[in-house]
Amino acid sequence: MIYDLRRVDVAVKWLVSCLLATFGIAYMFGAWMVGLYAGFTPKSVAATYAEPEMAMHMPPDTSVVVRRQVTLGELAATDEQHVVDRDLLVQDTHVHVPMYGVIAAALSLVALGLPLARSGALALITLLFAVPWLDFAGMWLTKLASPRFAAVTLLGGWAMGAGYTVVTALALWHMWKPRKGAST
Amino acid sequence: MIKLIAAAAVAAALHITPTVVLVKRPDAVKTLLPGAETFFANEVHLSGVDAHRLHEAVDWSPDDGVLTFYTGKQGQRVVGSLVFVRVDTPHGPIEVAVGFGPSGTVSGVILTKATVETKPWVLEALRAGLTDAYRGLTPGAVPAGAAAIASSVATLPHYMAEQVDKGVARALAAYGAFYKVVGT
Repeated sequence: MIYDLRRVDVAVKWLVSCLLATFGIAYMFGAWMVGLYAGFTPKSVAATYAEPEMAMHMPPDTSVVVRRQVTLGELAATDEQHVVDRDLLVQDTHVHVPMYGVIAAALSLVALGLPLARSGALALITLLFAVPWLDFAGMWLTKLASPRFAAVTLLGGWAMGAGYTVVTALALWHMWKPRKGAST
Repeated sequence: MIKLIAAAAVAAALHITPTVVLVKRPDAVKTLLPGAETFFANEVHLSGVDAHRLHEAVDWSPDDGVLTFYTGKQGQRVVGSLVFVRVDTPHGPIEVAVGFGPSGTVSGVILTKATVETKPWVLEALRAGLTDAYRGLTPGAVPAGAAAIASSVATLPHYMAEQVDKGVARALAAYGAFYKVVGT
């Protein structure tokens, strides 16, 4: 243990608690946003990130018209869901991955102050940094390889929730649990 | 450090926010084709020459080279037709539904999609009466909705109005050049 969160000044404990609470709020809104635009099922995530079928478009020699009757229900189906194309995913990756890294680093610093075995700390830090890797690897593989990789993105999302929950629960417990004879 | 912060700010500014549906497509169809009981999708598969002509005219090519005019009928009477046009902006895409009456003039324009970021600007432009300026336009006319509301809106709503002008111009060009091949 590089430092001990249990024995730091109360101001540092408060700082860490506020940081974790702020991350928690951000994560809740992040989950809300995911629910709005990508969903939580492999199917909906694949629909968001998979590349459209690459049918070879060959224009006809002369313009032709194909007419078919449609219902309003079919028109509703053309209100296609939010789709992230390749250019947008490049931008998303560029913007999000560094921030994910900063958050993982901050949570890792908190984890370093917890009374964990070395293997436990290594596992927790790996879990925290697995979030951007899994999340964006899943998105890119869904786009470039197969829609089945949407499950990897979902795994990244769950890893994010799990990592945050574990660090927060352990940190709050160890920082604020009543101790016999302690004045703080 | 200042360069890093500036780079992060630029990256954040370039980040395109998700699409939001302002008006569902079926609702736009019901509004622009009032009284219609049956609906038809007329897909014009553009030849290479026609697609090039359209692109030269309004700097736009429909997805996969297919223009879709939706026609509404009440009995055997054609109520009107409409086309959905997407306009890509640096802040994300918007979608405009442009309706045409039986006489071939614009009967109405509805903004169906924007983005989280552009929605307030679009709504401000709409509140200023943007779409009023398009009624009665015929193919060949130049939409000037942005100019009509310039004195009553801020810079960004005015910019979005210019993008809507662009969408209406594309619809007018497409309708003028290709709707006649649809037949009714």
